[in-house]
Amino acid sequence: MESNIYKNEKINVGERKRKRDPEMTTGIIFVIPLMIFVIVFTFFPAIYSFVISMFHYDPFFHNIYFVGLSNYLQVIRDPAFIKSLVNVLIYTAVVVTIQTFLAFGYALLFNTASRISRIARAIVFIPAVVSPVSMSIIFIWVFSNTGLVNYLLSFFGIPPHNWLFSTVYAFPAIMAMNIFTTAPYFMIVYSAGLQSIPQEVMDAAKIDGLKSGLKRFRYVYFPLMRFSTILVVILGLTGAMQLFDQIYVITDGGPARSTYVPLMYIYNRTFVYVGDIGLAAAASFVLFIIILILTITQRRVITERRW
Amino acid sequence: MLRSEYRRRKSINVGENSKTYLIYVVSILLAIVYLVPFYWTVVKAFRDSIFANFPPNMNLFSQTSVAYFLANLKTVWGFGDFPLWYFNSVFISICVVAGSVFVGMLSGYAFARLKFPGRDYMFYAVLATLMIPFPVISIASYVFMLDLNWLSTYQGLILPQIASALDVFIMRQYFLTIPEEVELAAKIDGMKPWQIFFRVSAPMAKPAIAAATIFSFIGSWNNFLWPLMEVHSLNMFTLPLVLNFFKGANGTQIYWNQMMTVNILTMIPTIVIFVVFEKYFIRGISMNYTR
Repeated sequence: MESNIYKNEKINVGERKRKRDPEMTTGIIFVIPLMIFVIVFTFFPAIYSFVISMFHYDPFFHNIYFVGLSNYLQVIRDPAFIKSLVNVLIYTAVVVTIQTFLAFGYALLFNTASRISRIARAIVFIPAVVSPVSMSIIFIWVFSNTGLVNYLLSFFGIPPHNWLFSTVYAFPAIMAMNIFTTAPYFMIVYSAGLQSIPQEVMDAAKIDGLKSGLKRFRYVYFPLMRFSTILVVILGLTGAMQLFDQIYVITDGGPARSTYVPLMYIYNRTFVYVGDIGLAAAASFVLFIIILILTITQRRVITERRW
Repeated sequence: MLRSEYRRRKSINVGENSKTYLIYVVSILLAIVYLVPFYWTVVKAFRDSIFANFPPNMNLFSQTSVAYFLANLKTVWGFGDFPLWYFNSVFISICVVAGSVFVGMLSGYAFARLKFPGRDYMFYAVLATLMIPFPVISIASYVFMLDLNWLSTYQGLILPQIASALDVFIMRQYFLTIPEEVELAAKIDGMKPWQIFFRVSAPMAKPAIAAATIFSFIGSWNNFLWPLMEVHSLNMFTLPLVLNFFKGANGTQIYWNQMMTVNILTMIPTIVIFVVFEKYFIRGISMNYTR
């Protein structure tokens, strides 16, 4: 069939196979730009990062020499790095759990075809399109001495508190802010999932007597939303591990390193305590491995368990 | 939409009705909660006082005036090289969008429709980039830019942001949904594969192009980490850097009315794009994640 399509070329099937297929040439030409960008700006830096991590690397004074794995040993023994890792793991556990439930709740709430739901959903989604830096600036006010949170608490007679300057409350405040802004983003993933549930399934559930909301949630939505949940958890997890913008803008890792996170450590190692980028690269690689392990295990846990 | 409309109509009876109203009330309350921070942002930009007073004055008509806003705008616009910084953000975002959408379109089409050796391996390679978050390779990218002497340059800011697996997926998924018969017809008419792409398939992929455009624009406009590492001179600042810079420009006291004016100027493009293209936006996310 194919041989008749390019009738201008006037060649038979046997010859065409040997000649270059125009589809093949076009395909290769079409992917080349992408592959160049992917190789040069993603794969190369990934490998380069590993190479740099094996060196004492000070590009400004050209003081570069091979040190093997000693950067890694130094990094994992560094209390600041350990602290940052513990912080980000706590942050991830709290934020991913709450935002996943919240995202699903929002999606259920807005799962009607009415205009009100549509507009409300669009409004709730706004923080997800605004830059994290803008949101951080607004939330500096929200959690400040004279901000919204203290205003709301004053109705209950709770005295104002400087949330972001407290070693106890600064990190939870940032968690709250990020739950507030990322839950709407993942809501859309669940919304799309909910819309793809066939009406027959819901009818069958009704006939089977699954009338209460809780039962419907347990036996209908939950199993059917498994794929969406995998996505939301994995994306949330990798996103949470890369927390940086908000911390940099709001607290800069302080007070007393209570909001220190790995990317903050990596940034400081490169740009604040200038001298050895190799350490920063080693720390990035450790973070990368942790994200990778978490993603893979998460995937396995969620897909293999029978609900 | 039709199906849920049907579902809604069918479900209207007395008990369900009150439940529907409850859902509306909760939805509206949630929307209000989400609007409050933005509401204060706007109100504050229309005020004269730099301080955030306690309790917050939430009244839209108290101490506000358009004249104050214009004054704030004038101060902000004259702060440093603000017009240049705004231009930087616009220019960089446009370049990133043009580059990543075009590159994504070509490769998305190739992955969806064209057969060539190594296609699947290349697609897996693109998939694998999703496993490599940009921040963990940012240090190496920074050193790479340093080696190339590309720090604080447009190309250094733009090029690393162009390869976007997300755009490739949106495009590929959409091209897969276009019926093959359409392309076959063009093929029978004697069109070459690249002609089919530019004259037939690409014009049909407008929704996917819109979605990819919106995503890469917002991603690039809001990007903070990369410009923060890449830019070491004031004249290459982009808006997120300006926000952070302005925050600390007056010591510990933030000039809230001017700060919020900068914030509004930064947020406006993304919010406008979101409001105008909301339909594509949500469809774009679902295109990526449901199949």
